[in-house]
Amino acid sequence: MRVTTRSASNNTTTTTDNAAAPETPSTSTTTTTSSSSETDSYKLRFCTVCASNQNRSMEAHLRLSTATPSPFPVISFGTGSLVRLPGPTVTQPNIYHFNTTSYSQMYEELMAKDERLYRYNGLLNMLDRNRNLKWGPERFQDWVPGLPRVDHVAKGDKGARGTEGGVVDVIITCEERCWDAVVDDLMAKGSPLNRPVHVFNVDIKDNHEEALVGGKAILELAHRLNEAARLERRAAAADWENGQGEARRNFDERVPEILAAWQEKWPHLPALWTLAWL
Amino acid sequence: MAQSADHLVDQIAQLNAARNLVLGDAAFYPQIVNGVLPIIGSRARLELRRWGAEFLAETFSSPALASTQKEQLAANVLQAQREILELPEGDPLVLKHIVQSAASLYPLVFRHIINHPRDGAMWENMTAIKQGILRRWDSFPSQVKICCIKFVQRVVQVQTHGPIADPRRPDQNETSLAIVPRNHPVLSLPNLEAEASGLLDRLLSALQEESSDPILVNATLNCLAVLIRSRQSIGNKIINAIMNFFPARQVRPPITPAVRVGVKSMERTARAVLEHIMKRNANHPFFRKMEQHVDRLKNSRLEIVDDATRKRGPPAEPTDGLDKTKRTKLDAETPPLVKIPPLPPGPTSYSQLFTLTEDAEASRFDVKQLPPDLLVNIVVPILARVDQSALTQSIDAIRMRYETIQKRQAAQAPAAAAAADDDDDYEPEYQPMDVAEPASEQADAVAAEVAEIQPDLVSLGPFVLPQPPPLSEAEAAEVGRSAVGRVFGMLAASAVASNPAKGKNQQQPGFARLAGSTFDRDAWVTLLTRLATRAPAGLETGTGKFGQDASSRGKATISNTIRETLYRYILEDFRGRVNVGIMWLNEEWYNDRVQMQFTASQRRPEDEEATVPLFYDHWVLRLLDGFLPYIDSRDTKIFIRFLSEIPEVTIPITQRVASLAKDPERVNLCVQSLLYLIMFRPPAREICLNALEHVYETYEESRPAAGKVLAKWRPKAAQPQHEQQTTLASRGATSAAPVGSA
Repeated sequence: MRVTTRSASNNTTTTTDNAAAPETPSTSTTTTTSSSSETDSYKLRFCTVCASNQNRSMEAHLRLSTATPSPFPVISFGTGSLVRLPGPTVTQPNIYHFNTTSYSQMYEELMAKDERLYRYNGLLNMLDRNRNLKWGPERFQDWVPGLPRVDHVAKGDKGARGTEGGVVDVIITCEERCWDAVVDDLMAKGSPLNRPVHVFNVDIKDNHEEALVGGKAILELAHRLNEAARLERRAAAADWENGQGEARRNFDERVPEILAAWQEKWPHLPALWTLAWL
Repeated sequence: MAQSADHLVDQIAQLNAARNLVLGDAAFYPQIVNGVLPIIGSRARLELRRWGAEFLAETFSSPALASTQKEQLAANVLQAQREILELPEGDPLVLKHIVQSAASLYPLVFRHIINHPRDGAMWENMTAIKQGILRRWDSFPSQVKICCIKFVQRVVQVQTHGPIADPRRPDQNETSLAIVPRNHPVLSLPNLEAEASGLLDRLLSALQEESSDPILVNATLNCLAVLIRSRQSIGNKIINAIMNFFPARQVRPPITPAVRVGVKSMERTARAVLEHIMKRNANHPFFRKMEQHVDRLKNSRLEIVDDATRKRGPPAEPTDGLDKTKRTKLDAETPPLVKIPPLPPGPTSYSQLFTLTEDAEASRFDVKQLPPDLLVNIVVPILARVDQSALTQSIDAIRMRYETIQKRQAAQAPAAAAAADDDDDYEPEYQPMDVAEPASEQADAVAAEVAEIQPDLVSLGPFVLPQPPPLSEAEAAEVGRSAVGRVFGMLAASAVASNPAKGKNQQQPGFARLAGSTFDRDAWVTLLTRLATRAPAGLETGTGKFGQDASSRGKATISNTIRETLYRYILEDFRGRVNVGIMWLNEEWYNDRVQMQFTASQRRPEDEEATVPLFYDHWVLRLLDGFLPYIDSRDTKIFIRFLSEIPEVTIPITQRVASLAKDPERVNLCVQSLLYLIMFRPPAREICLNALEHVYETYEESRPAAGKVLAKWRPKAAQPQHEQQTTLASRGATSAAPVGSA
């Protein structure tokens, strides 16, 4: 119930702002934006996906969940069959199961195995970042969209606030293979929620440096998308209040041009998009 | 105003608290849903309606809430949503969520009506919502349209025949027409089916329209997969619609980056749907077609979208007034200049003369590879469209070159020019050298020489080669030997080249094969063995009764030379060439039989004795003697193969085999070979058993192995030695223990 009291207090600040500008209807109406302290606090909900839910998707998860001025609701997944981390040689990777192994466990294990090696190749650093974000890697194919994720909020997963309903508006994968897996899996799930979801791919090479760049680019894409969605809510409301037919340009329609404009700025991260169903 | 806003914020906060409650425990849903319905109704404020619509959409799609409970909640909710929809609702976000709820509710309500036909009010509300959505589908803003697509897909899914998983347990089956009773009072099967068919067409029309909106196309494509998978009756129709959809075809300039994103996404999504189906049903009748279509999609995008953007046309106006190359492109007055490369130095060939391109690949292309009718098809349209000035320039360039060469040649070789005076307009008057020679001086000299000789050449009659002097017998044999040597050379060469590939890509023609028709190693071997055995048959009978005689007299006949060479060839690598040996010996044996028959038929009563030289017996023993010393215990397979495939096993052969037992290392080889012959060559069984008995008696090491064989095949022979065998058992066990298989 801590959540409720918080959101109530947040909305109090909203009230004062609205009182100052009474013609602007409040847009903080969604059920998902309880933690925001901003006035226009509508936030799209994001889902980042890579192969092992370790490097690229987690870097993006970090960026989105620590975004300023207010964090985005975000969850993250991997599409691989197992979590694969580099080992002492190419043929000896460290393999873990999704959903049942925590980042902390992996951290401790690798630390015990060969601290120097895994410190040197950045794995420990990465796992340390990850264990501060959420409990452990989750597999996309095992995700049941719409199943409440209230417990993740309780566990303190970063970016969990706003994703209690277990749904997202945008999925961003970090590799075309993952995009294929996600689109395919969504079709296989048969879209039980009847809810549209934008699925993007931002092609990022799987190393720490590229993940940093990619995370930044994904954050920017998120901001651009969110701005469009926010405007839509406001415009649609204004439209209703004023009874005029302007502002027909809605968020979904603008996605291709938003992505195109973003792509011009990030030409070395080839992007792809489709509108799928949860 | 501040007061009401404050009140609103409180309300929303309360509602959020309620939502958190049901997310934590789905058991509260009925209570909360019925509680919030009055607050979020058609007369409520926009914020509340939005919240309510989204909450209801979430409720009816939640996997946490059982469908029976959803069914119970549906009645009240449908009424409320119908009222909101009919107000009419104008806010796209509220509408979006109402359509979403409708998509989730439709299968639930449909199922409820199947089981409760009396609940007419509920069905009436659902139908009213459906009609309202369908009526306004086209006029909705696109974020609502997307959800309409999904709603219609659900209606189609429900109103077609689905699979029946278990007819005894209807609650387990997917909601579809298949579980509607034929005589249902409310639901009329034909009407529902017809409606679904119409809606499907409307759904697929998104893929057939002139200008496709990527949002709507992607939304459609992504919801079709489940229909293809679960609804066999309409699956193929949908696949066809997808395969007839080419997003890149409808692209019209200007191609903005956003258009590119759209086309790429539609193609990738179409591909994803087909791959999704192919992955799950590799036996789909359209599998091949889908595979081809996926390939085509991959390529079409590259061509149209990428090309259109990569190869930009000339700029609409001069970007730089000083840049000549750019200005000439836009200037209509001066036609573009065709670049004429200079001719290479030295004598010029026809192709060099007419080649204007500097592209080495293009000039190397041989037009003669193309059939004439195809060439006509290509050339005629090109000529019709070719740039007039470029053509004129090119023709002038060739003319210039031609005249230059002509002058040069006239100066060099006046006689040649005179000889070939213009009797044909198309015949050029100079002699092109297709093979360019390095030194032009030399070429000049040759040209002059040719010019001088030419008149004489014309007057010459037909040329006949003189008869060669007759070859002496020795010479003929020498030539024959060298020919044979060359064929053996071929054998060695083709053995390396063709052996590894053999058997894999070559089909075995079996009895239908024509010997020696494949031009590989086997073919040459066939040729050689027949050359040795058959070619001189009957010619050499006079010279010697046996090959041995002939060779001993130092007058080797050609066939014996071949035999000798073959023999050496096989011995060089007995293990690899055993099949050559087998082939050869079979030919020998066959030839011996043919010769015997022939001689018998030719034999006249007055001939006392007609003899036929028998080569098989001689050569099989020679070959055996040749390789027996080298054979060791690991060659069992090769040796047994040899023994089993040679055409005839004779007593001398079995004696040679038996002699192997002298060597304790090869006792097993000997016994196993004989055992094989005993088991699988009945004609040779007796002589082999004799040989084995001999081995058994002579060599102690063989007794454990040979004893077992004899015990089975010739029990009485093994019996007398029985006592002796047991005394030797301790010794024999060490050497012959591995022969457990015998």
